[in-house]
Amino acid sequence: MDLLNKLLNIFKKKPKERRRIYLKYENASSLPASDDGEQRFSLVVDTEKQEAMALAKQESEPEKKLKKHRLSLNTRKSLSGWLFVLPFVIGIIMIYAPVVFNSIQITFSEISFEKGMQLTPVGFENYIYIFNKDEYFSITIVDGLFDLILQIPAIVIFSLFMAIILNQKMTGRAVFRAIFFLPVILSTGIIDSIDTNSKFFEAMENSQGGVDNNTGDEAGGIVSALDIQNLLGNIKLGTGLVEYVTNLVNNIFDIVSRSGVQMLIFLSGLQSISPSIYESCQIEGATAWETFWKITFPMISPMILVNAVYTVIDAFTSADNRVMVYIQKIYSKSDYAHAGAMAWVYVGIVLVFILLVALIMKAIVFYQRRD
Amino acid sequence: MDTPKVKRETKNRIRVDFERAPLSERLKSKFMSLNFLKKVIYMIFKIVLLVGVSYVILYPYITKIFGSFMTASDFEDVTVIMISKHPTLDQYKYIITENHYFRAVLNTFIISFTVALLQTLVCALVAYGLAKFKFKGNNIVFLLVIFTMMVPQETISFAMSTYFSYFGTKNPIGMILQAIGVIDQGLINSFVPLYLLSATALGFKNGLFIFMLRQFFKGVPDELEESAYVDGSTTFRTFFSIIIPLSIPMLVTVFIFAFAWQWTDDFYVSSSMFFTQSYLDRPDGFKMISSIATVPKSLKEATKGLDMYASAIVGTSTILIAAPLIIMYLFVQNKIVQGIERSGIVG
Repeated sequence: MDLLNKLLNIFKKKPKERRRIYLKYENASSLPASDDGEQRFSLVVDTEKQEAMALAKQESEPEKKLKKHRLSLNTRKSLSGWLFVLPFVIGIIMIYAPVVFNSIQITFSEISFEKGMQLTPVGFENYIYIFNKDEYFSITIVDGLFDLILQIPAIVIFSLFMAIILNQKMTGRAVFRAIFFLPVILSTGIIDSIDTNSKFFEAMENSQGGVDNNTGDEAGGIVSALDIQNLLGNIKLGTGLVEYVTNLVNNIFDIVSRSGVQMLIFLSGLQSISPSIYESCQIEGATAWETFWKITFPMISPMILVNAVYTVIDAFTSADNRVMVYIQKIYSKSDYAHAGAMAWVYVGIVLVFILLVALIMKAIVFYQRRD
Repeated sequence: MDTPKVKRETKNRIRVDFERAPLSERLKSKFMSLNFLKKVIYMIFKIVLLVGVSYVILYPYITKIFGSFMTASDFEDVTVIMISKHPTLDQYKYIITENHYFRAVLNTFIISFTVALLQTLVCALVAYGLAKFKFKGNNIVFLLVIFTMMVPQETISFAMSTYFSYFGTKNPIGMILQAIGVIDQGLINSFVPLYLLSATALGFKNGLFIFMLRQFFKGVPDELEESAYVDGSTTFRTFFSIIIPLSIPMLVTVFIFAFAWQWTDDFYVSSSMFFTQSYLDRPDGFKMISSIATVPKSLKEATKGLDMYASAIVGTSTILIAAPLIIMYLFVQNKIVQGIERSGIVG
């Protein structure tokens, strides 16, 4: 309430006359009733009269002007809504739409660079080419999709898990949070591309690292992927699952550095759950496990949807996944038409995939308020 | 049991002495229970997990820092694993002097700051419009935002770069501008396209920013604005004097993201987008921070046949690239957490 009052104070700077009257009226009400009060009251009536006169004056003016001044509240609100989104709409119309149109047009044509850029339409030839003649594209897309389907749940679950731990009160929480969000800022662009091609980093990892690669010839590692494989194999889990887990362990850095934004989103969701719900749970004698599944999980489920969609988008559009690397390779050969066709096919697949994820997630999402 | 003994009594407090179990018993029941064991195990598990993951995150930076003090001889010596035998600052010295580090930092800072400021402001405007106003086409605009998020920037990179490089000849507005003499044939080798994209919320991951801010603004109670409207404030004034001061932590978060992602950008400022390779390679040309990640001239000789040393030097330049960001991050990281915590994003 204090904040509200402060904010409202900003708006008390009204036109001079009206403010004075307002203050006087306030004084009058705070004083005990006297002859004086009556006079003040008449003062207020006076201004009302003035306002009424001004209004009458406005109304007597030509009807055209009146219409301009008197749009309905809804129209005015929707107009200012358009004004707010105007920069984006201009950008879409002036830049984005022509660019997208052009890049789709390129996929249906042949490019020549003799006199500037010339496009000759060829129909679906480029699309037929990439599926029939290009031997790697179909395989790459299937492999890439499979990779991502495996990785996305891991990222979402990991970030939820870490967000729950980072949300608890403990010493050093600020430090851990700072470290966990570091990759969001640092593992991008040039730094990321240096890291992925760094021989030095690879060598250091092999000589020191916690979890080494699958070769198992390592003496110095703390835990080797082979150990995990053996452990899981011994407790008779399916080979598919074992492979999945070892794969995740090998890519732990990738997963950790990609779950920064998701962790932030989950943290915000956890913060918005009212502590009183947990309190009543505790009083009723629910265990932590029950509390998680009955309270935290349903309350956080909208965030799981948001994160699943975001992770899909992020993973699909990141420059270092298999399909994007392949498309980039074609691009760098200046084969723009085919690369563009591949890229748009890929976007289409991503769209379908996101719709699927959203539909599946819709089933488990629970909304607290429906508005 | 008889009535408890009163130890001390004041006006509104009373202290009584109950018959209690002896200390050893109490300690025993506290620490020897299964509950306590569970708690300890959970604590250990949590700390191991947190420290382990932190180690995974920090590991590349630690190795780079160790590698940055190494000399060529350290890479020939098998016994050297992490700590150099003859530590020097040569790598830093040559990268800073020969790769024009400070000039690159200054240039990149100016551009990243402008871009981040533009993106934050424009995304906030668009997000506020989407969150608080019901107008026809609201949903379509939001779907378009999601669409820009979903199309990878590489997909349209070629069309985008041709759009701007033929801006003066193919675009109606560009033709007018060219006729006046504001621009040449195209907008190549300049930062204007980048600013244009930022000013129209089409820059790198701006869809995400709009999405985050929209969710944040949805959480701001409508009563705040209504009271402002009643007092005669316009929508824009309400936005700038009520909503913006309220959402500083969230705006700082978005600003930091935009700044950091522009800072490390090697996509827009490259020959594949708005620049030509010859322009970027000019010795006295406009240096961006991404261009310092090469082996300096004086160290070229020493790195011959030593790939490890070359990539250690590139790693050192990564530290130099990241250093300003890390300093900034340390100052504002609590704002990031705050901004997110208050946002209450709900899908």
